[in-house]
Amino acid sequence: MNLHALRRFAAALAAAGAALAAPIASGQQVTVITSFPKELTDAYRKAFEAKNPGTKVEILNKNTVAGVAYVRELAPGSRPDVFWASAPDAFEVLANDKLLEKFDPGVAGIPAKIGNYPVNDPEGFYRGQALAGYGIMWNTRYLKANKLPEPREWADLAKPVYFGHVATSSPSRSGTTHLTVETVLQGEGWDKGWSQLLQIGGNAAAITERSFAVPDGVSNGQYGIGLVIDFFGLAAKANGFPVEFVYPSVTAIVPANIALVAGAKNPDLGKRFIAFTLSEEGQLVLLDPKVMRLPVLPKTYEKAPKGFPNPYAGTIKPKVNFDANLSEERYYLVSSLFDQTITFRHKELVAATKAINEAAAKLAAKPNPQGEKLLAEARAIAYTSVVDEPKSRDKGFLAAFRATKKDAETTKRVTALEEHWSTEAKKNYARAIALANQAAATVK
Amino acid sequence: MTARPTLAQAAIAGAIALFLAAFLVVPVLAVVWIAFADGAGGVTLSHFGAFFGVSLLRESFWNSLYVAAASVLVASVIALPIAYFTSRFRLRGALAVQTLGVLPLVMPPFVGAVAMQLIFGRNGSVNLLLGDWLGVNVPFMEGLNGVIFVEALHYFPFILLNLSVALANIDPAMEESAQNLGAHGFRLFRRVVFPLAMPGYVAGASLVFVKVFDDLGTPLVLNVTNMLAPQAYLRITSMGIEDPLGYVISVIMIAFSILAMWLSARALRGRDYATVQRGGAAAPRRRLSRGQAVLAYGWIALVLLLVLSPHLGILLLSFSKVWSFSVVPEAFTLENYRTVFADSSGMIVNTLVYAGLAAFVDIVIGTTIAYLVLRTPLPGRQFLDLGAAAALAIPGVVLGIGYLRLFRGVEIPWLGGALTASWIILPIAYSVRRLPYAVRSCTAALQQLHASLEEAAENLGASRRRTIQRIVVPLMAGGILAGFVTSFITAAVELSATLLLASSESMAPMSYGIYLYMQSIAGRGPGAALGVVAVVIVAVGTYASNRFMAGRSAQQETKP
Amino acid sequence: MTEPVRVEVENVSLAFGATQVLRGIDVAIAPGEFFALLGPSGCGKSTLLRLIAGFNHAQSGHVRIGGDDVTRVPPWERNVGMVFQSYALWPHMTVAGNVAFGLEERGRPREEIRRRVADALALVGLQDLADRRPGQLSGGQQQRVALARTVAIEPRVLLLDEPLSNLDAKLRVHMRRELVQLQRKLGITTIFVTHDQEEAMTTCDRIAVMSEGRIVQTGTPVELYDAPASRFVAEFVGSINLLDGNLQTGAGEGATFVSPQVGPVPLPPSESLPGSGDVTLAFRPHGVSVSAARADPARIWLAGAVAEREFLGEFVRYRVRVGGADILVDAPHLTGAPWFDPGAGVEVGIDPREIRVLRP
Repeated sequence: MNLHALRRFAAALAAAGAALAAPIASGQQVTVITSFPKELTDAYRKAFEAKNPGTKVEILNKNTVAGVAYVRELAPGSRPDVFWASAPDAFEVLANDKLLEKFDPGVAGIPAKIGNYPVNDPEGFYRGQALAGYGIMWNTRYLKANKLPEPREWADLAKPVYFGHVATSSPSRSGTTHLTVETVLQGEGWDKGWSQLLQIGGNAAAITERSFAVPDGVSNGQYGIGLVIDFFGLAAKANGFPVEFVYPSVTAIVPANIALVAGAKNPDLGKRFIAFTLSEEGQLVLLDPKVMRLPVLPKTYEKAPKGFPNPYAGTIKPKVNFDANLSEERYYLVSSLFDQTITFRHKELVAATKAINEAAAKLAAKPNPQGEKLLAEARAIAYTSVVDEPKSRDKGFLAAFRATKKDAETTKRVTALEEHWSTEAKKNYARAIALANQAAATVK
Repeated sequence: MTARPTLAQAAIAGAIALFLAAFLVVPVLAVVWIAFADGAGGVTLSHFGAFFGVSLLRESFWNSLYVAAASVLVASVIALPIAYFTSRFRLRGALAVQTLGVLPLVMPPFVGAVAMQLIFGRNGSVNLLLGDWLGVNVPFMEGLNGVIFVEALHYFPFILLNLSVALANIDPAMEESAQNLGAHGFRLFRRVVFPLAMPGYVAGASLVFVKVFDDLGTPLVLNVTNMLAPQAYLRITSMGIEDPLGYVISVIMIAFSILAMWLSARALRGRDYATVQRGGAAAPRRRLSRGQAVLAYGWIALVLLLVLSPHLGILLLSFSKVWSFSVVPEAFTLENYRTVFADSSGMIVNTLVYAGLAAFVDIVIGTTIAYLVLRTPLPGRQFLDLGAAAALAIPGVVLGIGYLRLFRGVEIPWLGGALTASWIILPIAYSVRRLPYAVRSCTAALQQLHASLEEAAENLGASRRRTIQRIVVPLMAGGILAGFVTSFITAAVELSATLLLASSESMAPMSYGIYLYMQSIAGRGPGAALGVVAVVIVAVGTYASNRFMAGRSAQQETKP
Repeated sequence: MTEPVRVEVENVSLAFGATQVLRGIDVAIAPGEFFALLGPSGCGKSTLLRLIAGFNHAQSGHVRIGGDDVTRVPPWERNVGMVFQSYALWPHMTVAGNVAFGLEERGRPREEIRRRVADALALVGLQDLADRRPGQLSGGQQQRVALARTVAIEPRVLLLDEPLSNLDAKLRVHMRRELVQLQRKLGITTIFVTHDQEEAMTTCDRIAVMSEGRIVQTGTPVELYDAPASRFVAEFVGSINLLDGNLQTGAGEGATFVSPQVGPVPLPPSESLPGSGDVTLAFRPHGVSVSAARADPARIWLAGAVAEREFLGEFVRYRVRVGGADILVDAPHLTGAPWFDPGAGVEVGIDPREIRVLRP
């Protein structure tokens, strides 16, 4: 390479660089910060750019929590225009920090409530853009290969037959898993809900580190059954993967939201983008086979493919009226409790479940009262949450977890509590194994 | 060589020092400072206390150490026999073994990881077959195992290549004298051959350790977040740039990178056996007995198969419509490539521009540093060399965090925004990360260039500047090109810093695009297709530079 | 110390691919003998040595050590000690560690190893350097460590592969004396490979001269020097004048040698004269004198002119042009002795007793 070539190369690079920088400098650009996958954002980007020639949609893909942090750290005037994500809590946080701007896109036909849950923020900071339900997704080939029945309810997943075939994530790692867990807890009640979660945890092949790992693993056959948000299941099915998805009766329908960011760079275009996503045209994009989300605009369902669930027409009957305040109140408690007793003690929990299942199988063949008593005891010890219902409602107790600015004292208290749960859980699982083994030993 | 440095030299050195300070030293120092700052201008260790108080972070710490160490171990188990067999025994298929040494490096580990999941996962091809035949299921890819497996398969060539060179450089008499005195078989290997090849092994192993310790993409793609790099990334992106624990993690990562390098340097001190060969011919290759031959060929075939599997997997995946619970995909399509070229061609262009720019900056700085260090009396010139080399110890995540912290408020007028929101930050990060390699190859090229060649030019009336232009740079071209290609291809698949610094899709390079695609079920195919494009770019770059180098050395041999 | 053994190589041939390196080698080395394999590089001498050590394998033939056929025995079971040209000291072990290696491989008790390492190092005078690393030693010291390492195992045979070639000239002379003393002290059968005829002649009892994979002559240093069997040996061992020509032997009396370059040369009667035919006359430069006029009638005189003169200290070497040939003459130098200048006409006198007649 001689110097002339180098010079020419440098000139070419500089030109290319300038070309890249050009669109960023122009004003006709709406910046959307979102946690949604690329297919969805690509579909909306293309649709919006086609409808508004000369405009560009810039997507900042960040997970919800990262998105909140990102917006927070930018100065007014340089912030992205639109915030678009699932978890309502994130929007609450942004609204509280005065990072959202009230705005009425003026679209008609969207109901105020889905079930008892308001579709839009009552204060008007953010609006529901799509609906999401939680359910069970499974790989039909996997189930067939392992001769497993199709599950219908959360309670099914607690059955011994599914031992080692279930996958779920942890609420501390993913907002959607948190909503799923909270749905179970609100639908079944604290104690029964935890018992179910612990049993499902005991059946789980993996507590994945990220929520997407669950649908991903189910669709490629690594796991048999997963607890997922509906569109993952529906999209995988629509793309030809051998999967099925059901809404259990204990489910909730919660909107995924969109909002205008306060101090945005280009608020007018942002407003236009939001209005577009809520329009009939924009809602139709949700039915793209790669996206497969439930629209908020009821009219859209007329164009939905056959068999597509319609929450407005009663194909999903959510039994749970999701209480967002309750969810937010005990957010850290639920996350931490799940991690300390399920995620971090997964090995021990699985061992306990295995021992219990084996004892149960033996007793089923040759029942005896003493063995059954021991087994019931083992179950009770293994599958009872270390925090009971009344405690979970104790405001002072919850306050420690919710403290946003944790001083050294609170941190110490919370850490001590977590260590306590962790050791309790470990002890309980060990005791359950011992009891289950005793129960099995009663069968001669 | 003139005795006194010129003003121009000093000015150029100053400019490079400024670049290094702005984009390497100060960002890293900022990270270190925040990890120790108590918020009131003082210094505290309480953040470190907090770090070790959080069980997840403690766990992450041990996991990272464990994964890095276990990856070194597994990579050694793969590489050691191959290096030994091929250097000491008569084996056919040397080409296959050479390919082995390069193949894994052309695919970024996080791309391979997805394919590995489909092939070696719980119900991947291999386990489905094993289940059918033997009724067993091997958890290759479960949790940390998966990370270790992927990393070891990706990085073992570092050990293989270094060890092969070291073995080739051992005077054959060293082994023969041991045989003569009664040693043979494994004892010969353990007592004489391996200790003598130790420098090469340690160099390779420490590189693997540092690389694995730093790697962000692989654990993330495999859904493992309880390691240090993912934790640093997640904390900084979700808790925000103010979270001190992210900085503590960064400091710990730097510390371990430096520690690993220091330990390897210490282990190697006074042990440079590489030049012990004295006029002897290459080691005579021994014949393998039938049993040994079966073992050796079997091992090489197995490793070749393993090494090929991610390539094969990603290729299959890129053409597949649906691949689920089956040994191979059942339906094939070109749709994924169409999607990629329709929606993400911008990312391909971005990658070429960023990696090209970064590589260009690297060779300019690399050549200049090499020249200043070797050919000028400029005081303190070694610090430039040292500064550039220091980038080796800085994980991509840490550099990214440092940039975010330092440059988020820095407005660049013509970019219309903060430096951290602009695409320019990516080529800068890439160039800093790859600088050590470029400096090394430029220095090597200049070292081989005898100073008398320049003196002859000066003697015939060429000025210093003209001499550099007409003699030094053309003669260094090979080394410069090698530096360019190395920087280019590694920058093209860099993910650690990219994940932190790429804020918008339009500025994102391919590595980020692959990662993004891999986050959804419908995106796996296009993600794989983009991965194949990346592999092709890297492979073409490697091949072209090898061709160029081969042609060049042939040319220089015929005209000495 | 074990009894010295005999080493026999019988009809050994070896090829590396298409290259025939050893062609039917037969040699027997007597117990306790200091034996040299001498030849130019590429003659196969190192290959033969490595074959005895077990590193090369003959396509045909046998190697016997002390009467045992070791042709198929691997190197590590032969118990022959080899000192390598590069010494091959392991840089990751200390001097003592190097010397102890072979004993450790033989599983000797720790105490015995300690004692024998000390003995071996004392033998070469390096007892104080036991804890050094090879890299910290001079070339001569390294050479001694290599020797100590080899003799420590009390090998049946000692093989030395160009052991002195990496030393500077002065040290080489010193070390070769030490080598001889050591060999005498140990009485061990020793095979010494070298390309330096001076080294071979000063150290060894017997020498085998090798060329192109064959042993061309075996004998004591004096035999090789005085009675080279071929032109190759004559040229390789010392300096020599060679004249090609035709020999015509008369009955009972002398003979006449006719060279196309120098014309007829009368030869006095001698038992060693072969019959008529093409031969080469060989005579060493120091057996030739140079003078202004023909002096001693017992010599064969030829007229010529000085072409070149070199002063070498002990003697002056003249290249004298005689007819179409050059004859080298070494004239002893004594203080004040007159020299002939280049161009001067001189008479060259050859001592007929020093002439060897070689058949081509």
